[in-house]
Amino acid sequence: MSVAALIARHEWRRLAVQPFAWGLAAVAVALMAWQFLLALQAFLQLAPKLGGLKDAPGLTDLLAIPLLRSFSNLLMLLVPLITMRTIAGERRTQSLPLLLAAGVGNLRITLGKYFGALGFVLVILLLVLAMPLALEFGTTLDLGRIAAATIGLVLFAGALTAIGVLCSAWTPQPALAAAAAFAITSLLAIIDAGARVQGIDNAGINYLALPTHIEPFFRGLVASVDIVYFLLIIVIALALTARRLDRLRSVAD
Amino acid sequence: MDNVSRVLAGRRVVREVSLSLGRGEVLGLLGVNGAGKSTTLRMIAGVLAPSVGMVRIAGEDLYERPELARRGIGYLPEVAPLHTELTVDEFLVFCARLRGLAGGARAAATRAIERCELGDVRRRLIGALSKGFRQRVGLAQAILHDPELIVLDEPASGLDPVQALRLRELVRGLGADHAVVLSTHVLPDVLACCDRVAILHEGALRHEGALAAFGQDGALRVRVTRALAANDWLGLTMVAAADPIDAADARRWRLRLRDGVSTGALAAAIVERSWGLEELRAENSALEEIFMTIAAGALPAVAA
Repeated sequence: MSVAALIARHEWRRLAVQPFAWGLAAVAVALMAWQFLLALQAFLQLAPKLGGLKDAPGLTDLLAIPLLRSFSNLLMLLVPLITMRTIAGERRTQSLPLLLAAGVGNLRITLGKYFGALGFVLVILLLVLAMPLALEFGTTLDLGRIAAATIGLVLFAGALTAIGVLCSAWTPQPALAAAAAFAITSLLAIIDAGARVQGIDNAGINYLALPTHIEPFFRGLVASVDIVYFLLIIVIALALTARRLDRLRSVAD
Repeated sequence: MDNVSRVLAGRRVVREVSLSLGRGEVLGLLGVNGAGKSTTLRMIAGVLAPSVGMVRIAGEDLYERPELARRGIGYLPEVAPLHTELTVDEFLVFCARLRGLAGGARAAATRAIERCELGDVRRRLIGALSKGFRQRVGLAQAILHDPELIVLDEPASGLDPVQALRLRELVRGLGADHAVVLSTHVLPDVLACCDRVAILHEGALRHEGALAAFGQDGALRVRVTRALAANDWLGLTMVAAADPIDAADARRWRLRLRDGVSTGALAAAIVERSWGLEELRAENSALEEIFMTIAAGALPAVAA
């Protein structure tokens, strides 16, 4: 697997030297920081009133978790933009033969590309996570809940990245890959919205939806059923990507 | 490769081509655009699987064992596969690691940089380099792991004449201890650096043979400023035969020298007689003629 690790590191490096990726990360962090400061100000105004309540919600409920939930929504837009060039970009600049001619297997290329992009997404996640955690210096946070939410976000980002890499393998146009990845994740996010309106919230269609599985993490519940859901998405998307690469070896580009 | 065929988008792009190549040989793959050269090379490089037949390296099927390509093959496609956001150094070190040179990656990159004369630009971004330099980075990428087989798809395209000349020298040098396959539609490239030539037309192998069989019969082309007759030439002891290239032009001649006579001796004799030597070169028309005939579609396929 060392080749996959090598490609992953190389991918990370390529992302890291591109103004596009950094710009994207900067915009995402700035957006979250702004939300964080607004929420903090609102909390400070509310704090005197909360003091009188029994079992009043704390910073974790009112600030940290909503911030991370909002970040999960931003990820749906952000991740496709980061993953769009992973394979489509190589096809566009006709540099894919570099990997294909080096005798690197499809799965290794896929894993390398995947973990390279995921690494970049996780860096942004860490930066966002640092904002609420910084409050730990002056107050007490429910670190257990934040840890659960973090696990959920990592799995969520992992699934979105896998979908993004798959879409990137499917088309030689990075923009199309981003659009397709965004369409698929959006569909997964709202697939059970109609059913919910009808009051159905425990059926097969609910199982397919992303929010069904990310929400428990925000509530502090780490359940194997949710972990399996995200892992399934990752495995299926990466297997399809490897298959697609195999197909790319046998067609003219 | 044995009887290799390749169907792309329902079209047979390469038909039953068989080629073999040994270490220390440079094979030139000639053909007009669309003849199937690139497809053939992609199969040899292990990037594209053949539809029928197989490509073997040292007796092993390349498609069954793709890892053979990792150390054994260097491939420069038509468009050099480069990561333009990196520097030359970074990129080549990555390529060396990709080829399994973990410890010696930096040394291998440095060697390739020297070999391809990239020393001045090694810290510059590949995206900022000119086409000629990029092509050389592509070449460096193909040779840095010292592969047994080097596959070059139109390596001279986009190079200026000086760079093209350097490239020929480099390929010639590589051919001494590697097996090299290169495709081109530039005949002088083939003449300058290949031992053997294979001509593809419409996906089929139409001609294959040692380059020595073409135009190496000692015929020379000479252009002088003074109008001469055949007898003037035959008056020189070293000339065995002299024919005008164009009956109406007494200044351009096709000469054949006697065995063992050097071209330099002829040049000296012409200068001594003040005939005004303007051009003196080896004639390569046999290959050119075969190529042109095949390209015109007149020659039937030969069994290779």
